[in-house]
Amino acid sequence: MDMAHNLSLLFPEMSLALAAFMMLVAEMLRSPRLALAIGLIGLGAATALTLQVLGADTSVFGGTYRVDFLSGWAKLVLLPGTALALLLVRSELAGRPREGSVYSLMVLVTLGALMLSGAGDMMLLVLGVVLTGLGSFALVAFPRDDAATEAAMKYLVFGSVTGAIMIYGLTFWFGGAGTTLTSALAGLDQSPLIAIAGLIAVIVGLGYKAAVFPFHFWAPDAYQGAPVSVAAYLSVITKLAAFFALAQTLRDLPQNSGWPLAIAALSALTMIFGYLAALVQNQMVRLIAYSSIAQSGYLLLGIVAVGSGALALPSLVVFAGAYIAMNLGAFAVIMIAGRELRDFAGLGRQAPLIGLAMLIYLLSLTGIPPLFGFIGKAYLFAAAMDAGYLWLAVVAIIGSVLALAAYLRIIAEMYKPIPADARTLPRPDAALFLVLAATLAATLFMGLFVSILPG
Amino acid sequence: MASLPLLTLATFLPLLGGLLLMAFAGRSTRAAHMISVATTGLVLMITLGIWERGTLPGAFAQVEEVTWIPSIDAAFRLGVDGLSLPLILLTAVLFFLAAIYSMRLSDRAPTFVVLLLMLETAALGTFAALDGLLFYVFFEVSLVSMYFMITGWGHEDRQRAGLMFFLYTLLGSLPLLLAILGLYIASGTFDMRAWIDAPPLAGLGAMLALAAMLFTFAVKIPSFPVHTWLPAAHVEAPTVGSVILAGVMLKFGTYGLIRFALQMTPEAFAKAGTLILIFGVLSAVYGALVALAQSDLKRMVAYTSVNHMGYVIMGVAVAGMTMDSNMRAVALDGATLQMVSHGLVTGALFFLVGMLYERAGTREMGDFGGLLGRLPWLGWAYILSAFASLGLPGLAHFPAEFQIFLATLNIQPWATLAIVAIAITAGLYLRSIASVFLGTPRDRWAAMADLDGQERLVIIALLVMIAAIGLAPGILLDVIHATTAAM
Repeated sequence: MDMAHNLSLLFPEMSLALAAFMMLVAEMLRSPRLALAIGLIGLGAATALTLQVLGADTSVFGGTYRVDFLSGWAKLVLLPGTALALLLVRSELAGRPREGSVYSLMVLVTLGALMLSGAGDMMLLVLGVVLTGLGSFALVAFPRDDAATEAAMKYLVFGSVTGAIMIYGLTFWFGGAGTTLTSALAGLDQSPLIAIAGLIAVIVGLGYKAAVFPFHFWAPDAYQGAPVSVAAYLSVITKLAAFFALAQTLRDLPQNSGWPLAIAALSALTMIFGYLAALVQNQMVRLIAYSSIAQSGYLLLGIVAVGSGALALPSLVVFAGAYIAMNLGAFAVIMIAGRELRDFAGLGRQAPLIGLAMLIYLLSLTGIPPLFGFIGKAYLFAAAMDAGYLWLAVVAIIGSVLALAAYLRIIAEMYKPIPADARTLPRPDAALFLVLAATLAATLFMGLFVSILPG
Repeated sequence: MASLPLLTLATFLPLLGGLLLMAFAGRSTRAAHMISVATTGLVLMITLGIWERGTLPGAFAQVEEVTWIPSIDAAFRLGVDGLSLPLILLTAVLFFLAAIYSMRLSDRAPTFVVLLLMLETAALGTFAALDGLLFYVFFEVSLVSMYFMITGWGHEDRQRAGLMFFLYTLLGSLPLLLAILGLYIASGTFDMRAWIDAPPLAGLGAMLALAAMLFTFAVKIPSFPVHTWLPAAHVEAPTVGSVILAGVMLKFGTYGLIRFALQMTPEAFAKAGTLILIFGVLSAVYGALVALAQSDLKRMVAYTSVNHMGYVIMGVAVAGMTMDSNMRAVALDGATLQMVSHGLVTGALFFLVGMLYERAGTREMGDFGGLLGRLPWLGWAYILSAFASLGLPGLAHFPAEFQIFLATLNIQPWATLAIVAIAITAGLYLRSIASVFLGTPRDRWAAMADLDGQERLVIIALLVMIAAIGLAPGILLDVIHATTAAM
């Protein structure tokens, strides 16, 4: 395939990289608004360019980078998600020093996320992990206070160790397959031990990024230390990128290495652990952080089926879209109402519309129909059952009941009488309003119009 | 005119009314109640139109279909047969009466009305859906409205009761989702008609799906031993909530038992028939016994629901076990009619107990006495409803229970021992009548007023229908039988 054609398939990534560097220039000119505008335009352009290459099923640069169904839809989920996260940052950090660098870092991290979603080569996987990681550490450390610095340090140290383990393990795959292309992993069916060694490494490296139990320790601290909008961004974009990368890698790994069972076990543990931990949190960011960990367990339901069922990739994409909408929406409400659970007391009566929005996000996170989250979970359940993992779907429904218990604590709080010392809520500014409107519309209606998504 | 999609209209009109209320009427209590009564009244008229159009033997009638997710063949599919049509009519009637009765509510009335209307959409949709995924959507969305009704307008311990209701029934309904997905994976479509015509699962798969469905519907019905959420939810729920919960939502379970468990996994159902029958008999007897032990009127009525639904389970169970298509039709006729009768009778009883509670602030039988002289309307209405509930000939439960027991006697004679439950029920209702309405009047209640015009209207409407079904069950049975005879 000729170089020009290769490059034309990469227009979305290129436009994003271009935007990120122009944003740095804008930041040097001390114009964060310009940086934001460039970022939004870049993301919009990349989305439009992705639509042009959607339907392609090929790879570029000798098979190292995939332009296929999953990478295309991953872009269509991640790029708009990043745009919404930029607006959240604008609402929270407008006027703060270094505001523009947050935007450019986020766009760069998203570029790394796109690389992860299209990774067809182990080295590209490493590159994507490093690119998303470095930007994320800096984002968490943005406030420059003790909590943020500690959280960023934890995140960095943990990330370095898991990254090193991943690179070490990948050498087994390289040794066994004789190439770094993940499509060559299918040849490992005669050497299951090598397949497992690499598998463990990839689970450690990507599982850390995805906040999967037991590699989740950093997540609640990092989300709590970081600005709420940055936590919102990290909880969706880098996490989903790790899942897309996992799907791209494992689809070629021979089933006889037993990887689906290992992923299934992780999935069950992550769902149950995440919601049990969420049940006892009194801090909203931490509560949503643990709920995000649990949602990782649900995404793993789709990973289990990768390679054995036609529903696996669509289920990942549909749930990813739902997850972005409802999680960003929940974080947006936290930005308005406050970081503590008790800040939500009486919210539903004090601000009925914002309360209703939060209610819808939470019910969608639980998986109540006809909301988007329900459709996503139904796809994931179907994918897992199709792959023969009925028991995992049964664990998942138990998880859903725990989820409801965790979220009902917030809902019950919201519909209490307004406390006497209730503070007046800040009116959402235009950026925040836009995020609420977009995520609410998606959460409410995408379940009904899900046929425009892949299937 | 003939092509108007009446089912879709009836299903979504309440939702539309609720949205209009949210958008325009804001905080006006009067406007809320007007919209509520107008919408539910219009829905009732539309369902009468649906009734007029009728059903087809052996197939679904008035089918409306719109694509939804073509890639997995999930679509917006509605339709009726002799099983669902009477329940749709029952739903429309009860919601209309509930809307009239709740006109007295002034505390956050607009929100309450929105919840009520959303619940009506969910209920009508559950009975009319012909698509597995769509059915589940309606089935589940009802939980949200009911949760907020209980926690927002319930009595003392409502937060805990609402939490328990929501968690319990969510845990209950999720297995159904797995069963529906299993049917989809085996067939490649969510079309319930395809699942009924050619049950896609066999062997272990069918048995697992059946087990999941039975769990779901047993919680919903509720059947012994997973009925424990019901008394808590009823006791704390507001009157209208109880009426809808018992009158309509419990039928989701029994309707699903026939529509899903019996029709989509018939072979597995026949194998598990004895077990299901045992649970039916246990529910009938246990429900009656526990009801007998209650001193709180509302708890008592709640437990008699467990008893009455037990008969429905028995009817469906024997229908699934027999090869004799005549007897199967008799059993299913009885079971379906029993659902409608129970909706009307228990609806009336919950209304009456609620009216009494509103006046007295207590539901303890021992606190009352001799009320019949002071409140003849309420007293006689209660006595008539109680007689209907205990199965007096000439009233709604008799033809239903008669057919269920007739079929049971033919197919599994031992199970007719559940007939002792009827005797127990008779005893507990007579006791409640004696202690509340007979005896010496107490001075404490000297100032209590009888039913007002609105309350009378609601109760008379229900009593007329109860008597009509008792005297001329053919009105409903003709429609029901046309479908069950072809099953």
